[in-house]
Amino acid sequence: MKKLNSTVCKVLVCAALVATGGLCLGLPPAFSSQEDITHVRSEALKPHTRPAALFRHDEHNEKAGIDDCATCHHGKDKDGKRDMADMTAGTDCVECHAVSPVKGQTALRRAFHLQCMGCHQERKQGPLHCTGCHTNG
Amino acid sequence: MQTFYTIAVGPLAWFAWAVFLVGSAWRIFSMASLAKNKEMAAVAYFDTAYGMRSIARWMTPFATLGWQKNPVLTFATFAFHISFILLALFAQGHAILWEYAFGMRVWALPPQVASALTIIATLSCAYFLVRRLSNSTVRFVSTPGDWLALGLATLPFITALLVRQSVGDPLLMTLLHVLSGEAVLVAIPFTRLSHALFVPFTRAYMGSEFGAVRHCPDW
Repeated sequence: MKKLNSTVCKVLVCAALVATGGLCLGLPPAFSSQEDITHVRSEALKPHTRPAALFRHDEHNEKAGIDDCATCHHGKDKDGKRDMADMTAGTDCVECHAVSPVKGQTALRRAFHLQCMGCHQERKQGPLHCTGCHTNG
Repeated sequence: MQTFYTIAVGPLAWFAWAVFLVGSAWRIFSMASLAKNKEMAAVAYFDTAYGMRSIARWMTPFATLGWQKNPVLTFATFAFHISFILLALFAQGHAILWEYAFGMRVWALPPQVASALTIIATLSCAYFLVRRLSNSTVRFVSTPGDWLALGLATLPFITALLVRQSVGDPLLMTLLHVLSGEAVLVAIPFTRLSHALFVPFTRAYMGSEFGAVRHCPDW
């Protein structure tokens, strides 16, 4: 029994270390399987009137040279302003960006468009027209 | 092309809106000054109530003898103008742009309704074209400016249809749609499209003269 307890403890300690290490490295939780993400699709924005924006997570970020998750998964500071140092991967965007926002918030759909189109505009790369992202692909 | 598109939806869009707003204000102001200098009698008899009565009457389909005379033209005229205004302000892509640029939450037309209105507007333009070509009276009074105005007004609808139906390169078609919309904005103050600015005044003048001077309806 004592040996069994010791084994369980070792497994738990290892799991905790792996989880903590992952969090420290800024990795998203293992269950999100980001390589499976092919579209930006928000359930909160239903009913959808356009095809979901095509977005192959890993392929896009490799091409765009985005290493820092907070580039997109940003947080907010105490004044409610965008904080690029605060990484929020794993948090649903709608938790901070309501579909019908209160004062000072950016609406969810606008936040998505600002995030994607804003970056494309800044870098002069990536689509800016509707069907460039909202395509049946 | 991506760079050109960025310019078209950025600086060029601001330029087009500035020309439209400043140009329209200048055209209305200069026309008002001209009326005061040359047509003071018309200005003196200007009557808001009779003017509004005439505008309301002529904004109602088939409520005037003029509208009753040619029902197809009346239908096309109302269908085109209603579609134009609704689509310009409330097409889904436009509503997204209002939201993206200014954070304005604008109601958007359901996509199927927008597509139907685009087709109706395009068919109305086709009717205007055929009428201008086939009706000798209309053809006789048509100037190059009229053809230009009709062409400019039609282009945003044709390009919108091409984008919607995925005809051709999507970026090129969207670029052409944006450019045609901006061309309309710039052209409104300086071409026959200026009727958009002047029609309330010309209609109100007719209403005033018929109501306050001749004491008879102008419909």
